[in-house]
Amino acid sequence: MKRAVVQKRNKILAAIRRFFNERDYLEVETPVLSPFLIPESTIEIFETTYYRELQGAHQLYLTPSPEIFMKKLIAEGFGNIFQMTKSFRNYEQAGKEHNPEFTMLEWYTEEASAEDNIPVAEELLRTLVSEMDTSGPAFLEPPFKRMSMEEVFFENTGIDLVKVQSFSLLKEAALRKGYSLPGKNETWESLFNRIFLTEVEPVLPGEKPLVLYNYPAQIDCLAADIPGTPWKDRWELYAGGIEVANCYTEETNPAKVSAFMQKEYAQKAAHSLVIPDTDTTFSSLFTPQYPRCSGVALGVDRLVRLLTGEDSIEGVILFPLSAILKT
Amino acid sequence: MIRAGALEKGSAILMKGEPFVVVEREFVNPGKGSAFVRLKLKSPSSGRVLRETMKTQDQVEDITVEDKECQYLYADTESYHFMDTDTYDQFEIPMQGFEDYKLLMMDGETYKIIMWEDKPLDIKIPYKVVYTVVDAPEAVKGDTVQGASKMVTIETGLKVKVPIFIKEGEKIMVNTETKEYVERVNS
Repeated sequence: MKRAVVQKRNKILAAIRRFFNERDYLEVETPVLSPFLIPESTIEIFETTYYRELQGAHQLYLTPSPEIFMKKLIAEGFGNIFQMTKSFRNYEQAGKEHNPEFTMLEWYTEEASAEDNIPVAEELLRTLVSEMDTSGPAFLEPPFKRMSMEEVFFENTGIDLVKVQSFSLLKEAALRKGYSLPGKNETWESLFNRIFLTEVEPVLPGEKPLVLYNYPAQIDCLAADIPGTPWKDRWELYAGGIEVANCYTEETNPAKVSAFMQKEYAQKAAHSLVIPDTDTTFSSLFTPQYPRCSGVALGVDRLVRLLTGEDSIEGVILFPLSAILKT
Repeated sequence: MIRAGALEKGSAILMKGEPFVVVEREFVNPGKGSAFVRLKLKSPSSGRVLRETMKTQDQVEDITVEDKECQYLYADTESYHFMDTDTYDQFEIPMQGFEDYKLLMMDGETYKIIMWEDKPLDIKIPYKVVYTVVDAPEAVKGDTVQGASKMVTIETGLKVKVPIFIKEGEKIMVNTETKEYVERVNS
């Protein structure tokens, strides 16, 4: 990585901090070492051991995102908050889009829905593009294009997601299209993702950043349901053909949060390499006083890659792990 | 059987009874999704190209193949022509789906052909290969904004982005998978 890229990266990180400070988001620093996590079945975790003279050893985990602690701060009345922090994900193939440790920007806006966070993301990108010396790449400039998953999926696959809500119906549609069904653990979610990744994601429009909103509720996560629809209130931001950020209207119903945690933990226990302890008090944060809020997680290295015109995040990270390991 | 996540470029598998070779492989982790591998598969017998996305944990049927040393003679518009260096038999491999190889193989060089039941399935191109630069523009002085690089053409016709100090006639090592410059080779 060149010195000039480090300078550009620093400039972008400084501009991100300035952007949120000017808008009265409080910068916070939360732990990356934690004795418990929010279980997420699709994320593999790094674990380590804390040794103590008196109390003995304690398993700790490297946080895959700062969500757990930031949501605690919101419960404590911190208001709008943001942070940029190292996050850690195991078992992802290092390369153009992944490094096992990466920098994540996460911000939470109170009294806001996922939709309300779109203009914040647009302003942020506008600011960052204007920070670059040369005219910034047009494909990063707002206004963002907005498309629902329902329309983009139908347009590219001919499958109407509303009509294939059960696994057997989606499977029928996939078989008609010639998909092989090798997986004995195939689920609605995995089949949806296979079709999405094969036919939709590679052809998503890329002239402008794209907000892809309303994801199927079958994809379990801590985003709130949109009542009366099969969708969750969340969006993903695609830019330059890669996924850069995701945003939820946060689920604040304690029963639903608790059900999510139990289900995800069971799946983790069955399939994951590392099974971290769960924060059993997490769902009790969501009292009736917990504010309505929306959080965005943004991959800073990916954004820096796009802003600097590098073609891999390894070009904007000093000592990417694959280079140190030389594999 | 083999895990889909363990497939590599050049792996041979059976899909619905038909042999396919992995031409491209890319790992993807969609937001809130498990790990998937996106594959471009090619059937050497029919030339059919298949795009499949599988969970890395899915099992696929791999097939046992063998390598055969063959000399690359030339390419016409549709096929690559090879000669078996043991028997001197000549045969061709259809280009469809393997068009990229044209810019990576050198006439007269020996390559390993992957054979399955006596049919050629794929050509193995070494991961890193040394090529001669046949066309290199003069570096523009003071051009450091673009990371001080330029495009040169190597003997196969492939264009490669290299540092500005690379000159015509020099040898460079190229990563054949990414088609990116690795280093200058002093001969």
